[in-house]
Amino acid sequence: MNIKFSNVCAFLAYTLLVILPLWLAVDRLVWVAGFDPSAWISSLENNYISQGVIEFTFYQALISTIVTMAIGLPIAWQLGRYKWPLQSVVKAILTVPFVMPSIVAAMGFLYIVGKAGLDIRVDESTWFATLIIAHAWFNMALIIRFCEPVLSTLDPKLEEQMRLLPAGNTKYGRFRNLWLPLLAPSIAAAACMTFVFSFTSFALVRWITLGDNTLESVMAGVGSSAGIEGYMISRNEIVLGSSMIQFTILLISLFLMSWLQQKRQNLLPQASEVIVKKRNPKGWAIIGIGVLFSLSPLIAVLLASFRIRNTDSSGTNYSWDTSGWEFAFTSSNSISSAWEALFNSLGYAAITLIIAVPLGWILAQTIIDVEKSRPRLARTLDVLTMLPFAISSVMIGLGVMLGMIRIDAEFFYSFWPTPALAHIMITTPFVVRIMLPALRSIEPAYDECAKTLGITKWRRFTEIKLPLLKGSILVATIFTLAMSLGEFGASWVVTRNSDWTTLPVMIDSLRSIPYKNSLTAPAACAVSSVLMGITLILFTWAEKFRSARDGGMF
Amino acid sequence: MLICKDLTKSFDKELFSNFNLELKPGEIVAITGPSGCGKTTLLRCICGLEDLDSGDLLLEGRDISTLNAEERGIGLIFQKAVLYPHLNVEGNLRLGNKKGDITNALVEVGMEGFEERRVESLSGGEGQRVSLARALLAKPKVLLLDEPFSSLDEELSRRLVSDVRSILKERKCPAILVTHNKNIAENFADYVISL
Repeated sequence: MNIKFSNVCAFLAYTLLVILPLWLAVDRLVWVAGFDPSAWISSLENNYISQGVIEFTFYQALISTIVTMAIGLPIAWQLGRYKWPLQSVVKAILTVPFVMPSIVAAMGFLYIVGKAGLDIRVDESTWFATLIIAHAWFNMALIIRFCEPVLSTLDPKLEEQMRLLPAGNTKYGRFRNLWLPLLAPSIAAAACMTFVFSFTSFALVRWITLGDNTLESVMAGVGSSAGIEGYMISRNEIVLGSSMIQFTILLISLFLMSWLQQKRQNLLPQASEVIVKKRNPKGWAIIGIGVLFSLSPLIAVLLASFRIRNTDSSGTNYSWDTSGWEFAFTSSNSISSAWEALFNSLGYAAITLIIAVPLGWILAQTIIDVEKSRPRLARTLDVLTMLPFAISSVMIGLGVMLGMIRIDAEFFYSFWPTPALAHIMITTPFVVRIMLPALRSIEPAYDECAKTLGITKWRRFTEIKLPLLKGSILVATIFTLAMSLGEFGASWVVTRNSDWTTLPVMIDSLRSIPYKNSLTAPAACAVSSVLMGITLILFTWAEKFRSARDGGMF
Repeated sequence: MLICKDLTKSFDKELFSNFNLELKPGEIVAITGPSGCGKTTLLRCICGLEDLDSGDLLLEGRDISTLNAEERGIGLIFQKAVLYPHLNVEGNLRLGNKKGDITNALVEVGMEGFEERRVESLSGGEGQRVSLARALLAKPKVLLLDEPFSSLDEELSRRLVSDVRSILKERKCPAILVTHNKNIAENFADYVISL
């Protein structure tokens, strides 16, 4: 099969938009710091800014993964094995945290542990536990999405047969010989993803554990002074060292994930008939707590946006009003209005959508087009489109920033769409991942049959291919919009030296204003509520089109 | 008239070499042969879904060898009915002919009143009847049938063989059937050739 012109163009555009900025960034950093990987790694320990970061990053990611499993697995089991009233609503509530922007979660948890909630924030020793719980809140959806489909659609005959065999005549026997082997790849895949997301956590670490840093937050912190010739060379080394460790860990995780996913697919013997499930009243203890846990930070954010601290000579008291919202939506000398942030966020999301969805789609189509005739090329292209997964969002932000410096700093710092480039880099690989299985699921016979009916190429596209792909295109669209609107790490790095702000960056800026202004925290929560509202609408919409058995994270 | 002249095709091994056939108007021919002998590939080459290594295809005096599949005016019914799941029966038939008489087309294949039915709810035989109706609505100059009866049970297969033959004869539509089943080939075609 000949490679089409559009396929070549798509990969050129992808290289230009995604690979080139990253290449330029690494090139710039190496140019300043010199090529010495061992010095990059040792600089992490030698600099007081980054001392202990490697250990902390690994440790918190590991503990987060264990706690997420402990919380998520019982919920997935209850959800998958028993019948629940309003099952789809319960499932949506339990999985919504995963799509929430991390900064919104950070605001919610800060309110819960703050004075108005548990009032444990003053005790520094609780910060680590709060971070772990926040990570578990964020990632439990992964466990549910990966494990619940296996539990809920498994052929009941397998369990019935097991009951009649010596190896499965006890609950433990069935768990050991049936459920565990079947669930193991799903659990491992979810654990792998949880580890990756906790490893690269930025907003939650930045706001919950003040003083403690992950590789991601260190990179974000020192990145703004990196890439300048002869200036703070150690910071370039820190960025290179951090990104090298992250890249290695993420790459290993990617391979592991891909292997586990394959094993997982092979272990999904679906029941051919409708499975009749029992109710489990006792299970409400788990599902109820799960729903409450899932909703708490979101409700907290909304409540916190209306709760105003008033301090006078008589002491501190609290009132409920909308002044936080008014403060957020009115510009001041120090901070722009939430309207402006909303406009920017929507604008960047629109640009990202216009470019990332068609680009991701054509890239996925290209991989499929060459799969049969040139499998090795298809695999290479596949890996290339996954490369940004192995790079954290802060590194992508640095890539855009340093790439801008290399090409024309002045132009790009005054070019409003620049932050959208980082969003395109982050979202395009997700679009490819959503579109690939959708395109693969279209039988070649559909197109062949249409050809023999004399249907033109355009009609085959509009009347057959497009309607068949409608659901996946919509999921990709909604996912791209949600990711772009909630993106924080890369936007924070890119917009630092510019006047543009996005909703997540504005939340961060508002919360960074000294605490004596009593409206900044409610205003940050007001903007968080806006972002949360938009994400909820998009999530609910996407759920309608998501295949019930895709079992993936999207 | 369809003339196949010295058609040759090989993948890893030679599938068919110097295949010749003259299909007259209204004539029905069956090609038999064991699995893997290239029967399906031969049909795919004739309708343009695969390229020939060499040979000429003439349809009504015109060389169609280099035309795209959608330009040849040759219909194909696949082994397993290809029906588009996002469309109902009527939507699928409209792909064959936007302005065609759907009701009549369904009556012709014994599927009266099936317009609104979703394609997933159709049985194998019903699916093949809808495919046939759709292929006929496109008014092909030649209809190719790639073992469309093989996945059906014996009774249904026998009935469909007889129904489809009658429809094709009534319309004077020339057709080529490939099958490994000699009984079906003899009952369906005017004459049988082996590949």
